Amino acid sequence: MVKLTMLARVTDGLPLAEGLDDGRDWQDAELYKQQIKALFKNLSRGQNEPSRMSVETGPYIFHYIIEGRVCYLTMCDRAYPKKLAFQYLEDLKNEFERVNGSQIETAARPYAFIKFDTFIQKTKKLYQDTRTQRNISKLNDELYEVHQIMTRNVQEVLGVGEKLDQVSQMSSRLTSESRMYADKARDLNRQALIRKWAPVAIVIGVVILLYWVRKKIW
Amino acid sequence: MKTTGTENADRANFPQRPAASPFTAASQSTTPFLSSGPVVGSEAFAFRPAPPNAPQTTPSAPQTTRPYLSSGLMVGSEASGFRPTQPVRYNDPSIPRPPSSFVPPPTGTLQHHPTPQFFSTAQAPPPRTSPGQPVFPPPIRAPAGHVPSPPVYLHSQPQISSGQMGSPPQSINYVPSGRSVPPSSSDSLFSAPRSTLQPLQSAFPGYSSKSPNAVTQPPPVQSAPVFTHQGGYGPPPPATSTPFLAHQRGYVPPPPVAAPPAFYSREQMQHQGSGLPMGAVQGLTEDFSSLSLASVPGSLDPGLDSKVLPRPLDGDVEPKSFAEMYPLNCNSRYLRLTTSAIPNSQSLTSRWHLPLGAVVCPLAEAPEGEEVPIVNFATTGIIRCRRCRTYVNPYMTFTDGGRKFRCNICALLNDVPGDYFAQLDANGRRIDLNERPELTKGTVEFIAPAEYMVRPPMPPLYFFVIDVSISAVRSGMLEVVAQTIKSCLDRLPGFPRTQIGFITFDSSIHFYNMKSSLTQPQMMVVTDLDDIFVPLPDDLLVNLSESRSVVDVFLDSLPSMFQDNVNMESAFGPAIKAAFMVMNQLGGKMLIFQNTLPSLGVGRLRLRGDDLRVYGTDKEHTLRIPEDPFYKQMAADCTKYQIAVNVYALSDKYTDIASLGTLAKYTGGQIYYYPSFQSSIHKEKLRHELARDLTRETAWESVLRIRCGKGVRFTTYHGNFMLRSTDLIALPAVDCDKAYAMQMSLEETLLTTQTVYFQVALLYTSSSGERRIRVHTAAAPVVSELGEMYRQADTGAIISLFCRLAIEKTLSYKLEEARSSIQQRIVKAFREYRNLYAVQHRLGGRMIYPESLKFLPLYGLALCKSIPLRGGYADAQLDERCAAGHTMMALPVKNLLKLLYPNLVRVDEYLGKASSKPDELNISRLPVTAESLDSRGLYIYDDGLRFVIWFGKMLPPDIAMNLLGEDFATDFSRVILSERDSEMSRKLMEILKKFREIDPSYYQMNHLVRQGEQPREGFFLLTNLIEDQVGGMNGYIDWIQQIHRQVQQNA
Repeated sequence: MVKLTMLARVTDGLPLAEGLDDGRDWQDAELYKQQIKALFKNLSRGQNEPSRMSVETGPYIFHYIIEGRVCYLTMCDRAYPKKLAFQYLEDLKNEFERVNGSQIETAARPYAFIKFDTFIQKTKKLYQDTRTQRNISKLNDELYEVHQIMTRNVQEVLGVGEKLDQVSQMSSRLTSESRMYADKARDLNRQALIRKWAPVAIVIGVVILLYWVRKKIW
Repeated sequence: MKTTGTENADRANFPQRPAASPFTAASQSTTPFLSSGPVVGSEAFAFRPAPPNAPQTTPSAPQTTRPYLSSGLMVGSEASGFRPTQPVRYNDPSIPRPPSSFVPPPTGTLQHHPTPQFFSTAQAPPPRTSPGQPVFPPPIRAPAGHVPSPPVYLHSQPQISSGQMGSPPQSINYVPSGRSVPPSSSDSLFSAPRSTLQPLQSAFPGYSSKSPNAVTQPPPVQSAPVFTHQGGYGPPPPATSTPFLAHQRGYVPPPPVAAPPAFYSREQMQHQGSGLPMGAVQGLTEDFSSLSLASVPGSLDPGLDSKVLPRPLDGDVEPKSFAEMYPLNCNSRYLRLTTSAIPNSQSLTSRWHLPLGAVVCPLAEAPEGEEVPIVNFATTGIIRCRRCRTYVNPYMTFTDGGRKFRCNICALLNDVPGDYFAQLDANGRRIDLNERPELTKGTVEFIAPAEYMVRPPMPPLYFFVIDVSISAVRSGMLEVVAQTIKSCLDRLPGFPRTQIGFITFDSSIHFYNMKSSLTQPQMMVVTDLDDIFVPLPDDLLVNLSESRSVVDVFLDSLPSMFQDNVNMESAFGPAIKAAFMVMNQLGGKMLIFQNTLPSLGVGRLRLRGDDLRVYGTDKEHTLRIPEDPFYKQMAADCTKYQIAVNVYALSDKYTDIASLGTLAKYTGGQIYYYPSFQSSIHKEKLRHELARDLTRETAWESVLRIRCGKGVRFTTYHGNFMLRSTDLIALPAVDCDKAYAMQMSLEETLLTTQTVYFQVALLYTSSSGERRIRVHTAAAPVVSELGEMYRQADTGAIISLFCRLAIEKTLSYKLEEARSSIQQRIVKAFREYRNLYAVQHRLGGRMIYPESLKFLPLYGLALCKSIPLRGGYADAQLDERCAAGHTMMALPVKNLLKLLYPNLVRVDEYLGKASSKPDELNISRLPVTAESLDSRGLYIYDDGLRFVIWFGKMLPPDIAMNLLGEDFATDFSRVILSERDSEMSRKLMEILKKFREIDPSYYQMNHLVRQGEQPREGFFLLTNLIEDQVGGMNGYIDWIQQIHRQVQQNA
């Protein structure tokens, strides 16, 4: 059963539309909405995510597709057929692109396409019951291949961002530190050189000086 | 003779003057007094700050004094006579002043007294020139060629008794005395001339100190009054003095001071556009109005003519100076302060006595061309102070080359975000100022970014809970409601997201499945009232555009569905609960149509009724508070889930509005009360008001907060809403017809800042699904003088706050106490004001009050006589009282003032005129008193909520015939005014339409009343003539006198 539906722009994580009465009679809605928002933020950071993915979270699962710089995300029960969920998102995508495709880039305020919620609500109802003839036929339809879609855990997904951040931080630290090390090494090298040859140079210098002085005086 | 004789004498003299006047060179008129009212606004009279020694005129200049101009009716008639003399210039000695009329004050007199220091400074360069060459220092010019024009003399007072001036010495009285050139004669006129002089003299210390020097001055100096007198007599004496001086000095040649009795109010001077810079004048003048109230000793005359009392016949007059001082402030329709001068210390606040606060109408309708600019900080995020969260506004100052800005409210220096950075020009202003409305306008709207949303913007949602019990059907309510809703479906805001749903109830609750795929709605009946449940998970609340056809079918069939319903019960409480369960996911507006006292399930009410015995006891107030805690609890839940409840109560019996109204009160809703609803009579009203409720622009799921500068804090909030935290007003729905009031207090004992800033921010979702923040910013100066506070007072805002405080007081005290608290505060304020000035000016017996508060007593009286506060048991029905109370708690200032002091206009003459078009409609308002009603006339009484059309007994029958056709002879209670086939009728309807357009928030129903037709006349009109003594309530004169007496006690 579809619980939540959200659309956001991938480039900056700006929410574009949301299902109408999502979160009704349901305590944890806020928590999952937070997760979804975090997910959008992650996506907007430009991490190379596959354009179709499922993310497990608690008893639910997020399915999302990214197309045309818009992320279409829905949250379902785990038992809800993956195939139907993606079919649902596909439907949303087609309609959204048809209606608002040209304005997606220019949207400046959050929920600029909130009017889309009526369509979301309507479509959601069609997919609500998995046992309707329509949905069963869709399920049996092999047109849409969902087997390849990766399923990961939400902690992992949200964690990936953090971990990547950490790695890049560490590597950048490493780079800067190694550069420092190289500088220092070069410095040290020079000093060693000087230390090695300085006495010889001084001796030679003194000899030349003496030689010159003797010549001058005598 | 009690001094009044002098006035008679004047009158005798005046008419002659023009004819006999030998003066041709110049006529100078001084007007010691101009009362308020139309005059002030419309006439740029010869008002000028005439310095005491100013009106030195050449011998040939007739000087007329116009000591008094009464307000109101008289003024109106007078005005025509005066108009030509309007243009007034100064410093143009050669041009004569216009003679103006002298209207002896019938009994009471009003005066504007400038303070002494004003005079002394205004005359700083004493316009005394060479002795032989007197000039008027700032003569006033009238239109050329006006010289010989006769002084307009208007005096229509039937009674000249008006001896009241005798005991309280006052300037006006001197005038006549001065006129009598032979001092002895004047003595004879005055019982105590000497005593009369003193006050004036003391009032002008600077002037009196100068006078000795001036005494020897040869120039013919004459006092204004004398001069006028002379006009009648012939060649003027070389020098005459003002009467008092003459008296005191034994008629030595007087100081070159003539006719100081002219006192001008600052307003008037402004009007003239005097040469002095406004600021300077403001700093120098202290003005106030006064009213002579003392009666003549030994006379039975009450000593006060009602005609001179100040009346707001021009409607609401907002203080102008405030907007001029701070042009960047938001318009006063959004925010009004009770005084535009904030006291700088707590001790000063405690001497103010009137409420200190603001009235906010955040969504007031802006006239065409003044739409609120919308600002989108898409990427930057909204610029706010990081400590106090104040929104960016014109008063924020940018420093450090534009990299920082200083918050005007908490003075914190903030960094300017990179995207918002702009360089400063040489004056320290941002170079992009012109493209930034948020830095140039006091009112802006910001598009809220996602952080300001806890959920996506909700769609507009209307849920109807309709009573279908027998009385609802019988009264025709059901039909009207269904028709009206249907007609409004296309105009509901927020297409295509608008959601709609219906529940009907009698002894059971009926739900309707409106699923778009159905052809007609399915009804589901729930009879279990104790454990109410929603029979369907969805489709009870549907998208209007999708289910439109089902909704149409439903509304068409609704009246017939219950046509034969004989159920008399009402499961009101459970129905609301059910509606709440359907709505609570989204919020929205719940409109309840209620016709029968709730009798079943939770929230059932009993006929506690209007128990006569309870009135006057300590339990009286319990009638006005909800009986069952269910209603308050329900209201709190609704607010939490963003549901606003509007209650339409249409019962013909007692329905306990006190309880039902609670639902509306705490959810930011509104109560509409139609006592004894009959569709044949009230149809139009219900239709109009319901349509307005459904179609007006509404802000959803909103919160309001008002911020103000350091040291000041808003403490209490008054209106229809619920407080979410100490200072956050939660408003599930708000529209342009709602205003909220709040009081502030000083947190610190002493304010050190020069200016206090206020910022009202309303975060809301518009019907189009945008989340926005509307921000109004205003600044007000901090003052250390009480006089300044009074001068900057705003009567409208004060009355608004008074009204709300008093109505709240009726919920825990007796009506009597609420009324007396209003009176007490007015008295205290006037007493304080009196203490400021009375001693100084020796205005012993006069009532004085600040010019800005001249209407306060009248509005205070009107408030005491308003439906929620008036009388006792018999004066208003309990339901009516409570409904009016709820309405008045939400009314914006202008509407409230109109309700308190309604328009009364006479229209029969206008109707009789053949050619006049509605555009020429120029009808002056009349004082709301029975004296204004002429039995030969046709009057319209308009208080913003209804019209009463009063037919005089001796109204020419053809008018009534034309307007009412055959019905004119029958009982008016059943006659409905409709357009008939006659010019007159069309004109009347045109007028009514125009009046309605002025204030569309309510539909003013016509009540036709014939003179003498009781009890209708009494009920509709006579009890509402607030200036008259009705029942146990005071009339205007008595009220003023009562206040005056109380002011003087322990003064």
